[in-house]
Amino acid sequence: MRITCPFCGERELGEFTYLGDAKPVRPAADAGEDVVYDYVYLRDNIAGVMSENWYHGGGCRAWLKVTRNTLTHEISAVEAAAGAGARQASK
Amino acid sequence: MAEFSWDIRSPLDRALVAGPYGARGDAGVALTEIRNFDLVQVMARRGKAAELAKAAKDRFSVAAPEMPKAVGTADATLIWSGPDQFFVLSKGGKHSIGALAPPFAGSASLSDQSHARVLISVSGAKARAMLAKLSSIDLHADAFAIGAAAATSMDHTSVTLWRGNDRDGLAVFNVLVFATFAESLWHTMLDSAAEYGVAINHSEELA
Ligand SMILES: [Zn+2]
Repeated sequence: MRITCPFCGERELGEFTYLGDAKPVRPAADAGEDVVYDYVYLRDNIAGVMSENWYHGGGCRAWLKVTRNTLTHEISAVEAAAGAGARQASK
Repeated sequence: MAEFSWDIRSPLDRALVAGPYGARGDAGVALTEIRNFDLVQVMARRGKAAELAKAAKDRFSVAAPEMPKAVGTADATLIWSGPDQFFVLSKGGKHSIGALAPPFAGSASLSDQSHARVLISVSGAKARAMLAKLSSIDLHADAFAIGAAAATSMDHTSVTLWRGNDRDGLAVFNVLVFATFAESLWHTMLDSAAEYGVAINHSEELA
Protein backbone atom coordinates (compact mmCIF):
# COMPACT_ATOMS: atom_id res chain seq x y z
CA MET A 1 0.00 0.00 0.00
CA ARG A 2 1.23 3.49 -0.83
CA ILE A 3 -0.08 6.83 0.32
CA THR A 4 0.41 10.03 -1.65
CA CYS A 5 1.25 12.61 1.00
CA PRO A 6 0.09 16.06 -0.12
CA PHE A 7 3.43 17.45 1.05
CA CYS A 8 5.94 14.71 0.14
CA GLY A 9 4.40 12.77 -2.73
CA GLU A 10 3.91 9.01 -2.98
CA ARG A 11 5.47 7.00 -0.14
CA GLU A 12 5.44 3.44 1.13
CA LEU A 13 3.20 2.38 4.00
CA GLY A 14 6.14 1.96 6.41
CA GLU A 15 6.55 5.73 6.69
CA PHE A 16 3.01 6.15 8.05
CA THR A 17 1.19 5.36 11.26
CA TYR A 18 -2.55 4.63 11.38
CA LEU A 19 -4.55 6.45 14.01
CA GLY A 20 -8.13 5.48 13.19
CA ASP A 21 -11.52 6.87 12.29
CA ALA A 22 -11.38 10.55 11.36
CA LYS A 23 -15.11 11.04 11.81
CA PRO A 24 -15.52 11.50 15.58
CA VAL A 25 -15.78 15.16 16.55
CA ARG A 26 -15.01 16.30 20.08
CA PRO A 27 -18.30 17.14 21.83
CA ALA A 28 -18.99 20.50 23.46
CA ALA A 29 -17.88 20.89 27.09
CA ASP A 30 -21.49 20.68 28.29
CA ALA A 31 -22.43 17.63 26.20
CA GLY A 32 -24.10 14.79 28.06
CA GLU A 33 -22.35 11.68 29.34
CA ASP A 34 -23.77 9.47 26.57
CA VAL A 35 -22.36 11.75 23.86
CA VAL A 36 -18.90 11.79 25.48
CA TYR A 37 -18.98 8.00 25.95
CA ASP A 38 -19.81 7.58 22.28
CA TYR A 39 -16.99 9.95 21.26
CA VAL A 40 -14.37 8.26 23.44
CA TYR A 41 -15.26 4.57 23.09
CA LEU A 42 -17.60 3.76 20.20
CA ARG A 43 -16.31 3.27 16.67
CA ASP A 44 -18.04 2.10 13.50
CA ASN A 45 -16.48 -1.02 12.00
CA ILE A 46 -16.82 -0.09 8.35
CA ALA A 47 -16.43 -2.62 5.54
CA GLY A 48 -16.02 -0.13 2.73
CA VAL A 49 -15.04 3.51 2.28
CA MET A 50 -13.78 5.12 5.46
CA SER A 51 -12.22 8.46 6.43
CA GLU A 52 -9.09 7.84 8.50
CA ASN A 53 -6.31 9.75 10.24
CA TRP A 54 -2.75 8.82 9.28
CA TYR A 55 0.54 10.31 10.51
CA HIS A 56 3.50 10.71 8.16
CA GLY A 57 6.03 10.19 10.96
CA GLY A 58 8.73 8.74 8.70
CA GLY A 59 8.47 11.75 6.42
CA CYS A 60 7.22 15.30 6.91
CA ARG A 61 5.53 14.60 10.29
CA ALA A 62 2.18 15.96 9.08
CA TRP A 63 -1.23 14.55 9.96
CA LEU A 64 -3.29 13.43 6.98
CA LYS A 65 -6.93 12.56 6.36
CA VAL A 66 -7.10 9.52 4.09
CA THR A 67 -10.23 8.16 2.41
CA ARG A 68 -9.67 4.39 2.10
CA ASN A 69 -11.78 1.38 1.19
CA THR A 70 -11.14 -1.10 4.01
CA LEU A 71 -12.07 -4.03 1.71
CA THR A 72 -9.76 -3.21 -1.21
CA HIS A 73 -7.25 -0.77 0.36
CA GLU A 74 -8.05 1.55 -2.53
CA ILE A 75 -7.30 5.14 -1.51
CA SER A 76 -9.57 7.70 -3.15
CA ALA A 77 -8.41 10.89 -1.43
CA VAL A 78 -5.62 12.22 0.80
CA GLU A 79 -5.72 15.66 2.31
CA ALA A 80 -3.81 17.49 5.00
CA ALA A 81 -5.50 17.40 8.39
CA ALA A 82 -6.62 20.74 9.78
CA GLY A 83 -3.65 22.92 10.72
CA ALA A 84 -1.09 20.66 9.00
CA GLY A 85 0.52 23.37 6.90
CA ALA A 86 -0.39 26.08 4.45
CA ARG A 87 1.29 24.95 1.25
CA GLN A 88 0.91 21.55 -0.34
CA ALA A 89 3.61 20.25 -2.65
CA SER A 90 1.56 18.12 -5.01
CA LYS A 91 -1.03 20.81 -5.82
CA MET B 1 38.13 14.48 41.83
CA ALA B 2 39.13 13.62 38.33
CA GLU B 3 39.40 16.54 35.96
CA PHE B 4 36.87 16.51 33.16
CA SER B 5 36.89 18.69 30.13
CA TRP B 6 33.94 18.95 27.81
CA ASP B 7 35.25 18.09 24.42
CA ILE B 8 33.03 18.62 21.39
CA ARG B 9 33.11 15.40 19.40
CA SER B 10 31.21 14.02 16.48
CA PRO B 11 28.64 11.32 17.30
CA LEU B 12 30.50 9.28 14.66
CA ASP B 13 33.84 9.79 16.37
CA ARG B 14 34.13 6.11 17.35
CA ALA B 15 32.46 4.57 14.32
CA LEU B 16 34.18 6.52 11.58
CA VAL B 17 37.58 5.14 10.59
CA ALA B 18 38.99 7.14 7.70
CA GLY B 19 40.43 5.10 4.85
CA PRO B 20 39.35 2.33 2.50
CA TYR B 21 36.69 -0.21 3.43
CA GLY B 22 35.06 -3.18 1.73
CA ALA B 23 35.93 -4.37 -1.76
CA ARG B 24 39.43 -3.50 -2.92
CA GLY B 25 40.22 -1.38 -5.94
CA ASP B 26 38.65 1.92 -6.92
CA ALA B 27 36.04 2.88 -4.33
CA GLY B 28 32.54 2.99 -5.81
CA VAL B 29 31.17 4.96 -2.88
CA ALA B 30 32.63 7.85 -0.89
CA LEU B 31 31.11 8.35 2.58
CA THR B 32 32.11 11.68 4.13
CA GLU B 33 30.90 13.03 7.42
CA ILE B 34 30.67 16.83 7.31
CA ARG B 35 31.57 18.34 10.69
CA ASN B 36 31.22 21.73 12.37
CA PHE B 37 28.18 23.24 10.69
CA ASP B 38 25.40 25.54 11.85
CA LEU B 39 21.94 24.01 11.43
CA VAL B 40 18.78 25.85 12.41
CA GLN B 41 15.26 24.57 11.91
CA VAL B 42 12.82 27.34 11.02
CA MET B 43 9.12 26.58 11.51
CA ALA B 44 6.31 29.01 10.71
CA ARG B 45 4.15 30.01 13.64
CA ARG B 46 0.46 29.33 13.29
CA GLY B 47 -0.94 31.34 10.40
CA LYS B 48 2.40 33.06 9.74
CA ALA B 49 3.59 31.10 6.68
CA ALA B 50 3.35 34.11 4.37
CA GLU B 51 5.23 36.33 6.84
CA LEU B 52 7.91 33.67 7.18
CA ALA B 53 8.28 33.48 3.40
CA LYS B 54 8.83 37.24 3.26
CA ALA B 55 11.29 37.25 6.16
CA ALA B 56 13.27 34.42 4.51
CA LYS B 57 13.37 36.27 1.19
CA ASP B 58 14.63 39.41 2.94
CA ARG B 59 17.29 37.47 4.82
CA PHE B 60 18.60 35.16 2.11
CA SER B 61 17.66 37.01 -1.13
CA VAL B 62 16.08 33.80 -2.43
CA ALA B 63 12.70 32.24 -1.75
CA ALA B 64 12.79 29.53 0.92
CA PRO B 65 11.61 26.13 -0.37
CA GLU B 66 7.86 25.55 -0.06
CA MET B 67 8.05 22.02 -1.45
CA PRO B 68 10.68 19.27 -1.07
CA LYS B 69 13.69 21.15 -2.48
CA ALA B 70 17.08 22.41 -1.34
CA VAL B 71 17.93 25.97 -2.35
CA GLY B 72 21.50 27.23 -2.33
CA THR B 73 22.37 30.83 -1.45
CA ALA B 74 25.78 32.52 -1.39
CA ASP B 75 26.58 31.21 2.09
CA ALA B 76 23.80 28.83 3.15
CA THR B 77 21.58 26.02 1.97
CA LEU B 78 17.84 26.13 2.72
CA ILE B 79 16.40 22.62 2.88
CA TRP B 80 12.67 21.85 3.06
CA SER B 81 11.92 19.71 6.12
CA GLY B 82 8.11 19.63 6.13
CA PRO B 83 5.12 21.88 5.53
CA ASP B 84 5.94 25.49 6.42
CA GLN B 85 9.39 24.63 7.76
CA PHE B 86 12.96 24.38 6.53
CA PHE B 87 16.55 23.98 7.69
CA VAL B 88 19.24 26.62 7.33
CA LEU B 89 22.60 24.88 6.86
CA SER B 90 25.69 27.08 6.99
CA LYS B 91 29.13 27.54 8.50
CA GLY B 92 30.99 30.12 10.53
CA GLY B 93 28.17 31.54 12.65
CA LYS B 94 26.74 33.98 10.10
CA HIS B 95 23.39 32.12 10.13
CA SER B 96 23.56 30.68 13.65
CA ILE B 97 20.39 30.66 15.74
CA GLY B 98 21.48 33.89 17.41
CA ALA B 99 21.90 35.58 14.05
CA LEU B 100 18.57 34.32 12.72
CA ALA B 101 16.49 35.16 15.79
CA PRO B 102 15.91 38.87 14.99
CA PRO B 103 14.86 38.49 11.32
CA PHE B 104 12.44 35.65 12.13
CA ALA B 105 11.06 37.05 15.39
CA GLY B 106 7.29 36.98 15.10
CA SER B 107 7.02 34.77 12.03
CA ALA B 108 8.82 31.56 12.98
CA SER B 109 10.06 29.41 15.83
CA LEU B 110 13.74 28.47 15.59
CA SER B 111 15.48 25.40 16.92
CA ASP B 112 19.26 24.94 16.94
CA GLN B 113 20.02 21.49 15.49
CA SER B 114 23.78 22.06 14.95
CA HIS B 115 24.81 19.28 17.34
CA ALA B 116 21.59 17.29 17.07
CA ARG B 117 22.14 15.99 13.54
CA VAL B 118 24.93 14.31 11.67
CA LEU B 119 25.51 15.24 8.04
CA ILE B 120 26.73 12.48 5.75
CA SER B 121 27.67 13.11 2.13
CA VAL B 122 27.33 10.10 -0.17
CA SER B 123 29.02 10.28 -3.55
CA GLY B 124 30.84 8.13 -6.10
CA ALA B 125 29.83 6.06 -9.11
CA LYS B 126 27.85 3.58 -6.97
CA ALA B 127 26.27 6.09 -4.55
CA ARG B 128 22.84 5.74 -6.13
CA ALA B 129 23.03 1.95 -6.18
CA MET B 130 23.99 1.87 -2.51
CA LEU B 131 21.24 4.28 -1.46
CA ALA B 132 18.66 2.31 -3.44
CA LYS B 133 19.11 -0.47 -0.87
CA LEU B 134 18.14 1.88 1.96
CA SER B 135 15.67 4.33 0.46
CA SER B 136 12.22 3.99 -1.07
CA ILE B 137 12.73 7.30 -2.93
CA ASP B 138 13.34 7.07 -6.68
CA LEU B 139 16.85 8.53 -6.95
CA HIS B 140 17.13 8.29 -10.74
CA ALA B 141 18.39 11.59 -12.15
CA ASP B 142 15.08 12.14 -13.97
CA ALA B 143 13.09 11.76 -10.74
CA PHE B 144 15.53 13.26 -8.21
CA ALA B 145 17.36 16.14 -9.89
CA ILE B 146 19.96 18.44 -8.34
CA GLY B 147 18.21 20.36 -5.57
CA ALA B 148 15.55 17.70 -4.97
CA ALA B 149 14.94 16.95 -1.28
CA ALA B 150 12.88 14.53 0.78
CA ALA B 151 11.88 14.04 4.38
CA THR B 152 11.92 10.25 4.47
CA SER B 153 13.20 7.18 6.29
CA MET B 154 16.23 4.97 5.77
CA ASP B 155 16.42 1.71 7.66
CA HIS B 156 13.44 2.90 9.80
CA THR B 157 15.37 6.05 10.72
CA SER B 158 14.03 9.51 9.84
CA VAL B 159 16.39 11.43 7.59
CA THR B 160 16.43 14.58 5.52
CA LEU B 161 17.84 13.73 2.11
CA TRP B 162 18.79 16.10 -0.68
CA ARG B 163 20.87 16.08 -3.84
CA GLY B 164 23.68 18.63 -3.97
CA ASN B 165 25.65 19.80 -6.95
CA ASP B 166 27.43 17.12 -8.95
CA ARG B 167 31.09 16.46 -8.24
CA ASP B 168 33.32 15.13 -11.03
CA GLY B 169 30.18 14.58 -13.08
CA LEU B 170 28.64 12.34 -10.42
CA ALA B 171 25.64 12.89 -8.15
CA VAL B 172 26.19 13.87 -4.52
CA PHE B 173 23.53 12.96 -1.94
CA ASN B 174 23.39 14.55 1.50
CA VAL B 175 21.79 12.85 4.48
CA LEU B 176 20.94 14.58 7.76
CA VAL B 177 20.20 12.08 10.53
CA PHE B 178 19.48 12.48 14.25
CA ALA B 179 22.77 12.27 16.17
CA THR B 180 21.66 9.35 18.31
CA PHE B 181 20.76 7.28 15.23
CA ALA B 182 23.84 8.29 13.21
CA GLU B 183 26.10 5.41 14.24
CA SER B 184 23.44 2.84 13.41
CA LEU B 185 22.74 4.35 9.98
CA TRP B 186 26.47 4.74 9.34
CA HIS B 187 27.05 1.00 9.88
CA THR B 188 24.08 0.19 7.65
CA MET B 189 25.53 2.42 4.94
CA LEU B 190 28.92 0.71 5.26
CA ASP B 191 27.28 -2.72 4.96
CA SER B 192 25.33 -1.59 1.89
CA ALA B 193 28.38 -0.02 0.25
CA ALA B 194 30.98 -2.67 1.09
CA GLU B 195 30.55 -4.61 -2.16
CA TYR B 196 31.42 -1.47 -4.16
CA GLY B 197 34.42 -0.46 -2.07
CA VAL B 198 34.18 2.61 0.18
CA ALA B 199 36.36 5.65 0.72
CA ILE B 200 35.67 6.87 4.27
CA ASN B 201 36.50 10.38 5.36
CA HIS B 202 35.40 13.37 7.35
CA SER B 203 35.53 16.97 6.27
CA GLU B 204 34.99 20.48 7.58
CA GLU B 205 33.76 21.68 4.20
CA LEU B 206 30.11 21.89 3.20
CA ALA B 207 29.61 20.36 -0.24
ZN1 LIG C 1 4.60 13.85 4.12
